[in-house]
Amino acid sequence: MSEPKSRREVFLKLGFGAGVAALGAQAVASLRSLVPNVSYDAPTTVKLGMPLDFPDGMKFLPDERLFVFREGKTFHAVSAVCTHLGCTVRAEALSQPVTKTVRGVPLRMTHRFLCPCHGSKYEGDGTNVAGPAPKPLTWYFLSLAPDDGQLVVDLALPVGQDFRFTLV
Amino acid sequence: MSSTSKAPATSGKDTPLEAPGVHAKPLWSVKPASDREAGDAVVSNFLLHWFPAKTYKPSLDWNYSFWLGTASAALLLLLTVSGLPLLFLYVPSVERAYGSVKDIEYVITFGFWIRAVHRLAAHLMVAVVFLHMVRVFLTGAYKNGRGQGQKREWNWVLGVGLLLSTLLLSFTGYLLPWDQLAYWAITVGTNIASSVPFVGPTIRELLLGGRAIDQATLIRFYVLHVIALPAAIGVLFLYHMWRVRKDGGLARADGAMLLPEKAAEAPSKTKTYTLLGVARGTSPAVKASTLERPETTVNSIPDLTRRIAIVVLGIFAVVSIASVFYHAPLEEPANALVTPNPAKAPWYFLWLQEIVTDTTVKIGSFTINGAFLGGVLLPGALVLLMTVWPWLDKSAPGSAGVWFPNDRRTQNIVFLLFVAFVLVLTFIGTFCRGPYWHLYWPWEAWPELPTRI
Repeated sequence: MSEPKSRREVFLKLGFGAGVAALGAQAVASLRSLVPNVSYDAPTTVKLGMPLDFPDGMKFLPDERLFVFREGKTFHAVSAVCTHLGCTVRAEALSQPVTKTVRGVPLRMTHRFLCPCHGSKYEGDGTNVAGPAPKPLTWYFLSLAPDDGQLVVDLALPVGQDFRFTLV
Repeated sequence: MSSTSKAPATSGKDTPLEAPGVHAKPLWSVKPASDREAGDAVVSNFLLHWFPAKTYKPSLDWNYSFWLGTASAALLLLLTVSGLPLLFLYVPSVERAYGSVKDIEYVITFGFWIRAVHRLAAHLMVAVVFLHMVRVFLTGAYKNGRGQGQKREWNWVLGVGLLLSTLLLSFTGYLLPWDQLAYWAITVGTNIASSVPFVGPTIRELLLGGRAIDQATLIRFYVLHVIALPAAIGVLFLYHMWRVRKDGGLARADGAMLLPEKAAEAPSKTKTYTLLGVARGTSPAVKASTLERPETTVNSIPDLTRRIAIVVLGIFAVVSIASVFYHAPLEEPANALVTPNPAKAPWYFLWLQEIVTDTTVKIGSFTINGAFLGGVLLPGALVLLMTVWPWLDKSAPGSAGVWFPNDRRTQNIVFLLFVAFVLVLTFIGTFCRGPYWHLYWPWEAWPELPTRI
């Protein structure tokens, strides 16, 4: 007498289990589908233009959210992304350029940077001096494109504040 | 008349009917002629069945609850109704979202009004839900009083969920126009999520649907706003209402237990719930003090329903009229290249914006980003403390449903200090912050700054 009953129980559990498993698999599939497999983000290596077309001093590139500084044949690039919560900082020209030795390399600072979202302040070398910013603005690696000689920034490659790119 | 045909043969056309569930009129009445008809209205009408047949009079007082919960529900209803036409008009694509909102505002007949109603109701709902929470705390209405089987602390937890859902609905809602406010609010909001150690960047990528704010981001927030969060708030709301009934109504209704009993010359009356079900673990025969003192209660229909109608229709009228005069603003289209200066969140998030501004701390060479401390840890701790507070509150059951009772004085003062703290920060953020988030007096002019570099 117990056999038919246990068979019924087995089928019941099988059916119930199959339903739960199907529901679970659907849930996993739904959630997994929300994690993108392909990124259509802009590339991190960007050509910025011919180096000699850059003005002496500072140029802001809004698309890359980047400040490019030129002093004769020497270049460096500082990110405009605030390290606090990612707003774009604005550059404010100093009335007098200040020369500061950063990591043993002299740097002529013509601007300072202010964030409109939460009031962070950065010196011309990107060092955070006031407000909630937890760390300095990032400096990025510059190089020349081997094909057409344009200035290239690598937004995935942060460098130290002593980095300079010099044309030869 | 079908109802009379079911009636027992003994009852004539003019005599009251005897059988349960049968009443003289084919439809329920908002102006019942008898207690019987009033009770029948509750039982036979779908919209009214969630109300009790009788309501304890002091629970209806305007100056006890200020009807803030009802007002919140009315605003939720208004938001649902005004959101429907917007669903047909808004296009959730980064290229067309701004244009479609602009069309709603300037091209579509009555579009500006519907949008203004939706926005004003949303702002009011944040304020009213917050005030409702303040009222419930100050009256200790999350406390179990003298009734049986009460779990008011869990209804408070549901309430915290409803407050958070309201804020999230607001946040996802103001992203949809894809204007400057939207773009930079997403930037700041998702960077706050990103500041969580280890898992933060992954959470941000999941929210954005990629590494940059783009179409995937807009569609995610859109689905959250029109499907996921409304579903969540709907379920929480119904559960909230169900618990109010299970807990014996407002906390103030516990006062009915204190009513002096009548002289015990006759056996006390009992009430058997056959239609509305039986409370688990208790006898179906319930002795209710309100039954012994009928003068302390009123029929829910029409006394409760009339007040609800006044609140709901009043809110509809006020919001509808105000929205004719206060149009919803629309900023410049989203521009990833320029952050507005100052970039301000909506007023109800400005206290958080103030906190993330002020909470970056340096311990030696180690820096904790204010985004994590002020944007995640502090609000998280506040919400957690709020959620578990009913279990920390050890005051007597008698102080449930009473304004400013003596044995809850200290916690009420501490709570009000928290409320004041939030309000002061909101005020500073709204009126005292200018370009570069510098402090200015509200009457002080902001300096002229170039809008572009």
